[in-house]
Amino acid sequence: MSKALNSRRLVKIYRYDPSVGGNGHFDQFDLNIEDETKTTILDLLIRIQKTQDPTLAFRYACRVNMCGSCGMVINGCEALACKTNVSDLPEKCDITIRPLNHFPVIKDLVVDMKPFFQKLEASIPYFDPVDESMEPAVIRPDSKERNLIGLATECIQCGCCVSSCTMVNYHENYAGPAALNRAFTLLADSRDGLYDLRMNQVLESCYHCRTEFNCTEVCPKEISPTRAIKYIQLLALKEPRRLKRQNLLKPIHEEKTSGKESLPSADSGCNWLIEQHNRRKFLKQIIFGIGTASALVVGGVIAAAAIGPSLKRIPKRLVRLDKLEAFPVGKVSTIVMNDIVPNGFYKSEIKKPVIVVRRSDPDKIVVFNTSCTHLGCTVHWDESKKQYMCACHGGAFDEEGNVTAGPPPRPLDRYAFKVEDGYLFAEVV
Amino acid sequence: MEQSRKIQFRGPMKWGELDPNRRRSTHVGMWAWLWQRISAVAIIFFLGLHITRTYIPIIQFLLLITVVFHAVLGLRVILLDFNLINIRYRNSLLGVLVGLGALIFMIIWKGIY
Repeated sequence: MSKALNSRRLVKIYRYDPSVGGNGHFDQFDLNIEDETKTTILDLLIRIQKTQDPTLAFRYACRVNMCGSCGMVINGCEALACKTNVSDLPEKCDITIRPLNHFPVIKDLVVDMKPFFQKLEASIPYFDPVDESMEPAVIRPDSKERNLIGLATECIQCGCCVSSCTMVNYHENYAGPAALNRAFTLLADSRDGLYDLRMNQVLESCYHCRTEFNCTEVCPKEISPTRAIKYIQLLALKEPRRLKRQNLLKPIHEEKTSGKESLPSADSGCNWLIEQHNRRKFLKQIIFGIGTASALVVGGVIAAAAIGPSLKRIPKRLVRLDKLEAFPVGKVSTIVMNDIVPNGFYKSEIKKPVIVVRRSDPDKIVVFNTSCTHLGCTVHWDESKKQYMCACHGGAFDEEGNVTAGPPPRPLDRYAFKVEDGYLFAEVV
Repeated sequence: MEQSRKIQFRGPMKWGELDPNRRRSTHVGMWAWLWQRISAVAIIFFLGLHITRTYIPIIQFLLLITVVFHAVLGLRVILLDFNLINIRYRNSLLGVLVGLGALIFMIIWKGIY
C-alpha cells in the first residue's frame, strides 16, 4: 500500500478546441497523487482544471456513478471518471484520457450525445401498459420475468457501451448496445403494450451484434447489453412469421409517431426501415448467389471425384514374383503374388496366386491370371489331366489357356511380364 | 452569437483512434471474433490447396487446425446465441473450447498418422 502513497503520475488528456478545429492533440500534466486508492480520475480532472489549466472541458454531475455524465476512455477502456480510482490502473503507468468514441467531440472530453439519445428514443424506451389499471403492479421478486430482466434496468445512459462497440462504427443504423438493452427490458416485460412496435424498431439492429462482449466488459453498471441483444435475437427467431404476417417491416404507423416530434423515427426511421427492407432483399440475393456458386463448386468436385478415376489412366506397376530359377523349366508353378497398392492414406496389400508356366524354350514364359474367366474362381493345374481346372462350375483350360470344357467364355487372362536381373516381374494394372 | 455559429464539432473519434492504450481495449471476445474471420479466410486458402495438392501432410495439418479452430469459435457463438451458457463464463468458455479443439485435433491427427 505504501507504493500507492505520494506517487507521481503523468496524465495525458485529449484536447480539442472547437474555435481552432483540426484533429486535436494530447496535453500532459504531471501530478502528485497522495493516495491512489482514494483519488478518482474525476478528482484528477477537477484538480488539473483548478490548478493547471482552467480551459479544460469535461462533464460531470453526481460524482457517485449515478448520473452517467463522466463517461470517457481511460487508458483505452471506457469508464466513468468518478468510478475509476487511480489505483485501478496499472502501477506507475501514464494515464491517458480521451473522449468517447463514435460521438462528435464538442470540446476536449465533452462529446455530443445527441446520436446516442436519438437511437435510444428510436427504440421506444418508455413503458406503455397493456391495461390502464391505476392499481400498483405487484411484481414478485422471485418471478421468472423479474429475474430475467434483472439489473438491466439500471442503465444510466453513459454511452460507454456504444463507445466500446466496434460495430457502431460500421453500421450507421445500428441502435447500439444501450438502446437495445433498454428495448430488452421492455420486450421481456409482459405488462408492456408496445411489443410489436418496439420489436419492429430493433429487429434489424439486433443482427449487427458480433458477440464481442466489449459493451459487457466496460459497462460501469455491470449490465450485459450483449445478453439483451441475444434475447432480442431469440425473440426474432421465435416469431419471424408473425412479424412478417403483420407487415411489420413496413414503415411504422403514422398515428404512433405523429405528435411526438422527439421520435426521430418519424422520417429518418421510415427511410431506415425501407433501406433495411432493401438490404434484406439484397442479402437474400447474395445468399442465393453464394449458395448456387458453392453448390456448383461442391457438385463439381463430387462429380469429378465420381467420374474422374474411371477416366484417369492408371499407370502399370511391375510386381516382383520371384527369381527366374524358382520356376523349373517345363513345369507349371503356382506362386502367390504380393501386390502393394497405394491408396490415399494407407497401402493395401493384395495377395493373389498366379500360375507361371516355363517352357523349355527360355523365352517362352506365360504368366496366367488364376481367376476363371467365367465367374472368377481360382483355377488350379491338374497334372494328370494336363488341364487347368476350375472347381466351381467345371470349367477347364488347356496348357495354352484355351477353353476346353465348361462355361468360361474366353481363354485364361495372361499378365504381361518382364525379366530383369534374374527376377520375374508381372505387369499389373 | 457570432462565435457560437463558428463552433465546429470534431468528427466522432473512431474506435481506438489516437489511443496509445488501444491494445488494452481489445477484449477477449474481440479476438475470438477477429480470429474466426481470419481462420475463415485461411480455410478457403487451405481448402484450395488441399483439393489441388492432395495428401500432403503439411497442408492437411494446416487445414485441419484452421477448421477445428474455426469450428470451436463458431461453437462459442452458438452456445452464447442460444443462451446455453451463462455469459458470465464468456471468457473462460473460450479457453475451454480452444482446449477442447486442441484435444479433438490431436485425436484426429493421431488417427490419421
